[in-house]
Amino acid sequence: MSQLRPDFSDEPAVRLDGVSLAYERTGEVLTEIDLNLRQGSFTFLTGPSGAGKSSLLKLMYLAHEPTRGAIRLFGRQTHEMKRKQLAALRRRIGVVFQEFRLLEHLSAFENVALPLRVAGQKTGQYQNEVIDLLRWVGLGERVDALTPSLSGGEQQRVAIARALINKPDLLIADEPTGNVDPEMGRKILRLFAELNKRVGTTILIATHDLSLIREFDVPVLRLSNGLLVRDVEFGSGG
Amino acid sequence: MNRRESPLLPKTDAREAALFFVIGALCFLAALAALTTRGTYKAAQAWGAQIEGDITVVMRDSDRRAAEAAAERVAGLVNVIDARVLSRDEVQALLEPSLGPGGLPEGLPIPMLMVVQADLSRGDPSAGIERILDDLSIDGDVAGNAGYADNVRGALGVLRMVALSIVALLSATAIAVIAFATHAALLARRDIVEVLHLSGAEDRYISGLFERRFWVLAIQAGAGGALAALMTTALIVFTGSSAQGAEAQLLPRLSLDFWDFVILLSTPVMAGIAARIAARATVMASLKDSL
Repeated sequence: MSQLRPDFSDEPAVRLDGVSLAYERTGEVLTEIDLNLRQGSFTFLTGPSGAGKSSLLKLMYLAHEPTRGAIRLFGRQTHEMKRKQLAALRRRIGVVFQEFRLLEHLSAFENVALPLRVAGQKTGQYQNEVIDLLRWVGLGERVDALTPSLSGGEQQRVAIARALINKPDLLIADEPTGNVDPEMGRKILRLFAELNKRVGTTILIATHDLSLIREFDVPVLRLSNGLLVRDVEFGSGG
Repeated sequence: MNRRESPLLPKTDAREAALFFVIGALCFLAALAALTTRGTYKAAQAWGAQIEGDITVVMRDSDRRAAEAAAERVAGLVNVIDARVLSRDEVQALLEPSLGPGGLPEGLPIPMLMVVQADLSRGDPSAGIERILDDLSIDGDVAGNAGYADNVRGALGVLRMVALSIVALLSATAIAVIAFATHAALLARRDIVEVLHLSGAEDRYISGLFERRFWVLAIQAGAGGALAALMTTALIVFTGSSAQGAEAQLLPRLSLDFWDFVILLSTPVMAGIAARIAARATVMASLKDSL
């Protein structure tokens, strides 16, 4: 099985060199991954359950350290960075999860504003921006709603708005359509595509929903047993 | 107009209510143990000092007038606080456990007894009392409690060590349980730690949120426990001071002083510090797993 090393631009948004990841309990879940995601690219990551998709994404959004190999984000080696610098780098990455991970005691507005608030900004500085973003994801009327009162699709759109509020250079989504109906899933992916086209945000979406992937003409990476392969079946490539 | 910012941590939940109760109860027990131990020790010490300073003088073949003259001169000694001759009724009460009720037969010769309360810090007055008895040609014996007091002192030393050990053990247990309970309560909030972390919050920011939260919770719960301990101690003090008669001698004479209030104030602070350190350690350990 060949490893993927596409020819992207000089300074990729994400570059993994020989990256492996092993958990204490389950052993190695990713093996010698080489990967470049060029800036402004839109890529799908697919593979069967347990193939290591979420683990690979966790490495990219700096939730885990690789057991071996090196990760470069926006041209910077992550293992050389201090924790404070990593926190700043994390603000350049937006993450969307299948299970939303919203704080239930906060409103849609407050959840979206969270990355700005933890960065020390005051409400007055971001109020309009947050409301505009909520309108863009179609939640202009639910700004003050507590998240448990929102439907699955609405919660996922709040999570997407939260991931975008910092105007991230890289957006990573782990099964973002997993907990919403197919129509809402399509809408969410169209939002991502629009963001990629209009703002140039680098986007990587992990999904096992092949029918959704077929609707987009973008590169598809496939993970199988911890190894990364290129799959040209569903997209023409970037 | 700017929107109101809700706290980043939810107000309270059942886990924190349980933690509040645990901290309050432990602080109550620790403070009460410290206060009663200290009070009992103080009372025992005062009791020991009183025993040590009590001297009984037995005057044989002496009439009351001579005995009272002797008592007056003894009371004038610099190291004597008080000296008085016991009345026939008082002597009778002392003999009652041995001879039974019903009174002493008229004409039964009983010795005069003089009770002397000495100020041992100014020296033992036994020699001076003996000199006075000689001067007044009274055949008498001076019986001090020094030997008995040595035994009491020894027992008090052991009591003090045991009491301090119990307080130390209880305090250490309280701190350990508070730390463990805080850790458990915070583990349930791991989702919030993760969301904040992935939102770009620095470790110190996340840790600070939880440290402040558990510090305030422990201070409030600890203050409640300390207040309950104060009220309980006050009740014991009140009950002890209102007791009358011979049985009152058997009750420990508790009282509250400056250091007791220092103990009460430091109890919630110690609980707060334990909770804060545990919160910091738990958050940092949780964050250590990630980059």
